[in-house]
Amino acid sequence: MKSLKKLTTTLLFAWGFSLGFQAPLQAAPWDEEDDSEEAEASEEEEEEDRYLAIVGGDVYTGLGGVLRNVTILSKNGKIQAIEADPFLPEGTEKVDARGMRVYPGLVALSATNRISRGLFGSVELPEDHIDHEAEGEHHGHFYASLAQSHIEEVGQDQEDHFFDAQVDTDAVDSFDPYSQYLVLALATGITTAEQGSTALKLKRGEIEGVAMKDKHLTSVSFGSPASRRSTREKFERAAEYLREYRAWEDLNDKEAKEPSRKGVDGGTLNILLGRNLARFGANSRDELLGIARLAQRYGFRPVIVGCQEGWTVADELGRAGATAVVTPRSRRFKDEKLVRPGGTSIENAAILHAHGVQIAVTPSNTGFELSGITGRDLMHLPTEAGFAVRGGLTNEAALRAITIVPARILGIDHRVGSIEIGKDCDVILTDGDLLHYQTFVQYAVVDGKLVYDKEDEIFFAHIRPRPELPPLDPVQVEEEDEASEEPSEEEEEQDDEDEGDEDEEDEEEEGDEEDEKGDD
Amino acid sequence: MLRSFTFFLAGLFGGTHAAGQSIEAGAPGESGLALRCAKALVCSPDPGDVQYVDNALVLVREGKIQAVGPAREMELPAGYELIDLGDRWVMPGIVELHCHEGGTYDINDVVYLANPGLRVATSIVPRNERLERGLAAGVTTVLVIPGSGSNVGGHGILLKTGLREFEQARLRDPGSLKVAQWGNPESWTIGVGMTFENWNTRHTLRRGSAYARRWEAFEEGRGPEPERNIQFDIFRDLIANRAQISTHTQMYQVVLMTLTMIKGELGLPVFLDHSTIGGWLAGGLAQEMGVSAIVGPRSLDPSASRGMMNWSRNKHEGMRGVAAGYQEQGLENIGFNTDSPVLPQESLPLQAAMGVRYGFEDTSLEAVRGLTVVPAMTVELSERIGSLTPGCDADLVVISGHPADPRSWVQAVWIEGKQVYESEEARLW
Repeated sequence: MKSLKKLTTTLLFAWGFSLGFQAPLQAAPWDEEDDSEEAEASEEEEEEDRYLAIVGGDVYTGLGGVLRNVTILSKNGKIQAIEADPFLPEGTEKVDARGMRVYPGLVALSATNRISRGLFGSVELPEDHIDHEAEGEHHGHFYASLAQSHIEEVGQDQEDHFFDAQVDTDAVDSFDPYSQYLVLALATGITTAEQGSTALKLKRGEIEGVAMKDKHLTSVSFGSPASRRSTREKFERAAEYLREYRAWEDLNDKEAKEPSRKGVDGGTLNILLGRNLARFGANSRDELLGIARLAQRYGFRPVIVGCQEGWTVADELGRAGATAVVTPRSRRFKDEKLVRPGGTSIENAAILHAHGVQIAVTPSNTGFELSGITGRDLMHLPTEAGFAVRGGLTNEAALRAITIVPARILGIDHRVGSIEIGKDCDVILTDGDLLHYQTFVQYAVVDGKLVYDKEDEIFFAHIRPRPELPPLDPVQVEEEDEASEEPSEEEEEQDDEDEGDEDEEDEEEEGDEEDEKGDD
Repeated sequence: MLRSFTFFLAGLFGGTHAAGQSIEAGAPGESGLALRCAKALVCSPDPGDVQYVDNALVLVREGKIQAVGPAREMELPAGYELIDLGDRWVMPGIVELHCHEGGTYDINDVVYLANPGLRVATSIVPRNERLERGLAAGVTTVLVIPGSGSNVGGHGILLKTGLREFEQARLRDPGSLKVAQWGNPESWTIGVGMTFENWNTRHTLRRGSAYARRWEAFEEGRGPEPERNIQFDIFRDLIANRAQISTHTQMYQVVLMTLTMIKGELGLPVFLDHSTIGGWLAGGLAQEMGVSAIVGPRSLDPSASRGMMNWSRNKHEGMRGVAAGYQEQGLENIGFNTDSPVLPQESLPLQAAMGVRYGFEDTSLEAVRGLTVVPAMTVELSERIGSLTPGCDADLVVISGHPADPRSWVQAVWIEGKQVYESEEARLW
C-alpha cells in the first residue's frame, strides 16, 4: 500500500514536472555534462544583465547602520550599489521605496516544511543541484581539505555518514515554488527558511538556486545521561583521531600507516573541523553547563536551541562562544525544589547577549497558524523578536536575531542576512518599524526580483491599503524649461530620438504643475 | 511613613529600595500617593471624554483614584508622597473577561448539559503563579469562568489578580453565568446538535428567569415566598444586572442566537465572548442591542485555510481581523480576551496589538479601551475598575510605552492603592 502510494506520488510528480518545469529542468546545471567554465561564461554574456533598483528608502542594513533616502541597485540578483543617487542602467526595474524602510530579508530557522513542500510530497532530484558556485569557499578552514581527502578515500558510501545523518533532503527536493505558504512567508518578510537543516531561498515561481546550503548543522543529543556519555565519547574519539592524523601528516613519511578512521563519528569530526555547526536542544541549567564545558574542552562553538535557563549561566555560555536560539515568550516556571534561580525569564535574550552569546529568535510555533490565533507563529516572527526587546535586548540586536545570526547558523551569512554590496539582493520593504505590531511588509525582493507586493495578494491588501504616491520617474525638473519655453535644438533632437517617451514627458509636466500648486 | 521626594527618587533609580518592601502610600489608612508620569491613559467610559493626559499627575488616596490632570495645573496636596516616574506611562489595570487560570483547572464538569448552579469560586487559588505572570503584564482583574463543555457551565468569579487572600481578591461573585451556545458542548455524552442546544439553553434560561421573577415579586410583596433553588439563584443577580451572561459564541448564526434569544427574547444581560469565526457579521445588530463583543483568543478569520474555515460561512477573501470586522459593522464596545491558558494570561495586551495589526482602527485609544474600560463597562463595573476616573479603585500599571506594543514592559503595578508588583524586585514579564 505504502509503496503503491509512493509510486503514485512519484508518477504524479513526474507528470507535474513534465508539464510545468520542463524548461527550468532542461537548463539546470546537473543536466549539463560538459559545463566548462568558458561555456558558462559565454552563455551568461548572451543573457542581458538584469537590474532592479529600490529607490528612496531608509535602509536598515542589519549591521547597525541606517542609510536614509538611498537607492539599492541590484545587478543579476546581487547588490551592486547602495547610494544616494546611483546611475541606473537603461531598463532598470524600479521599486518605489519612498517613505518606507528597507530591511534585509528575514531568515527563519526550523520553519515548517509547508513553505516548500508541494502537494505531492517528495521527489528525488540529482544531488548536486545545490548552488555550490554561489556558496563559494565559505569554509576556508585549514582542515576542510583534509576532510575532503577523506571523503574521496572512504568512498561514496561513507560520505553521507561523514555528514549529519538527519538531513531531510525532501525539503529541497520537493520545493513548490507556487505554494501559498511561501507567499505568507514572504508577506512576513521571510526570504530564507531552514527546512530540516537545509537553507532554502524563497524564490517564487522558480526552483533553480533555491537550495542555498545543505547539511550545515549537526544535531548532537545531550538530554539524557546516556546520550551525554556517548556524545562525550564521540568527541574524545574524534579529537584523538585528529591528533593522530596531524602527527602522521607531520611525519610526512609515505611508509607510515595512516591512522584508521574506524569508529570515529563523521558528524562529530565535521564539528571539530569547523565544517559543521553542532546544534543542541537544551533548556535546563545543568544541560547548558554541560554543553558549555564540552564546547570549551573540544574547541567548537555550540548552537543551543531553547536555552531557557541560559540567563542563569550566561557567563559560561558566553565563554563557550555559544549561539542561543531562543523563544523569548516561552514560559516555564522555576522548579520550586531548587534554591537557585531558574525557569524562563523575559530578560533571557538580553542577559545572554550582554555576555557575548549570539541571539537568534524563533517563535514557539514555526508553522503558519491558520486557525485564527495570531501572534505566536512564523507569521509573527518580528513580534517574537519584539518580546526580546521587552526583556532589554536592543532593537538592532533583535533585528540581527532574525536576520544575520540565523544566517550564520545556516552557514549562508556571506550571501544573506544583511544589506551589503556583493550580497544577494534579498530585502523587504516595510511601512514602518519592522518590530512594531502594526507594520506590514509592502514588498519583498528575492535575488533582485520583486516576488511579493502586498497590494497584489489577497491576504492583507484590504488592511490599510498603501497610499498612492505620485509616480517615481518624472522627478527631474528641468529648470531650462522654465527659463525658455522653446526647447533648444539639442533637446529637440533628443525628443526625436526617443519618441516612445512622450507619455513620460506628459507626466513630467503634470508633476511640475502639481509642484507649483504645492508652492502656492 | 512620610518620606521625602528625594528619597523616593533615590529609591527608584538608585536601587536603595529594599527588596520586598512595597510602597505603602495610597493604600487605605496610609498617606496619599502622587504619581507623576509622561502620560496617563485615563480611559474614561465615555469615548468623548478625555482619554489621556500628557505630563500628568495621578493622585491616589485610600485605595481610590482622587484626581488625574496635567501636572502643571495641579497642586500637590500636603501629606502626599510624590513618585516621579519620568518617561513612564500610567494606565488603569487591564481587565480580562475570559480566564481559566484562576486556580485548579477542574472547572468543566459536564455531567448535565446545563449546570447553572456550579461555581468556579471553589477552585480559586488567589495570585497563583499564572495569574502573577498576568499581573506582571498589567492584568489586574480577571473573570474566571467555567469551561464550555456544557451549554450552561456555572458561575464565573471576578478576581483581582495581585491580592493573596481570597476575600480580598474577590471582586464579585458571581461574576457571570457561563453559557456555551455552540462549538464545544456538542461532545456532551452521545452528542447534541444546534437544535437541541438552543432548546436546552432557552429552556434553562427561561426557568431561571421565572424563578428570579418569583423572588422579585415576593420581595415587592406581590407573591408568596418561593422555594429556594440554588441551581437558579444566579438568575436573581442576572435580572438585576449584578451579573451578566458571558457567552461562548462563535459563527454568524450562533452569535445571532445569542443576540436574539438571550438579549432580545429573554432580556438578560449578556456579552459576546469569543464571538469569532464570522461572528463579526452580526456586529451591527450587537450595536443596536447594546451588547459588547470581547473577542479572542482568535483574532483572525483567515481565508487561507478554506477547508477548516468553511464552516464559518465567511466568504471574505483575505485575513479578516475579527475586532476590525466588528468595528466596520458599527459596534462600539469591543474588547479582547485570551481564553487563558489557550493563550497565556500575559498575552492579553498582545491580543489588542493583533486586533490593530489586522485592521482595528486605533485612532482614539480604542485598543487600550478594549483592554480596560470596555470590559469594565461590559460587566457594569466601570465605576470601580478599568479607568482612572476619580472614585475608581487605584489599580494602576506603570508601563514603558503603549501597552499593546510587545516591547513595552511593566515596571510596577498597584491594586487598590497598594503596590503588588515591582519589576526591580523580580522581573516576571
